[in-house]
Amino acid sequence: MGLLPDEAKVLPPPGIVNRNSVWFGLCGWATAMLHNSLNRRPALKAGVHRQALFITIGWFIGYHLTKFENYKYATLDRDMNEYIRLHPEQFPEKAPKTFAEIVEPFHPIR
Amino acid sequence: MPLGRLFLRTSTVNRMVSRNSFIASKPDPSKPNMLRVGLAFGSTAVLWALLFKQHSTDLHEYKTRNGLE
Repeated sequence: MGLLPDEAKVLPPPGIVNRNSVWFGLCGWATAMLHNSLNRRPALKAGVHRQALFITIGWFIGYHLTKFENYKYATLDRDMNEYIRLHPEQFPEKAPKTFAEIVEPFHPIR
Repeated sequence: MPLGRLFLRTSTVNRMVSRNSFIASKPDPSKPNMLRVGLAFGSTAVLWALLFKQHSTDLHEYKTRNGLE
């Protein structure tokens, strides 16, 4: 973890297949195919090494981005829960209402 | 020194950047540059290996820090 502090290691790591990896991999593949078509080569069949390399770079960046995103959301959740714990007067427990108390009386017009 | 004189050196560098029209050739798709292809596939393999190693390290760290192993 290059940019992440040590405490981020308590979080579960994202799977190899994760949302950001798939998206960036697809973007890398689209870049390679665009490069092919702009150079008047068959889009899918040419430069397979380039396609593989771009997909891999995208996948790699996506994995580390997911890790960073998980850490950022975890810190936000921790700060929010800590605030709720320190200010209980702002979060009173409300008695649950039944639907009969909320719903307005029904006057059918037939 | 006038500024123009400082730029005179670039003609030696420019020789490598531009291509002489007498010896330049179109890129030939039937003769792939095997070094570049090898480097591309090699770096692909290296990146995947790095990714899997990083993932297993992270998983191990997570398990030891939360006492799950």
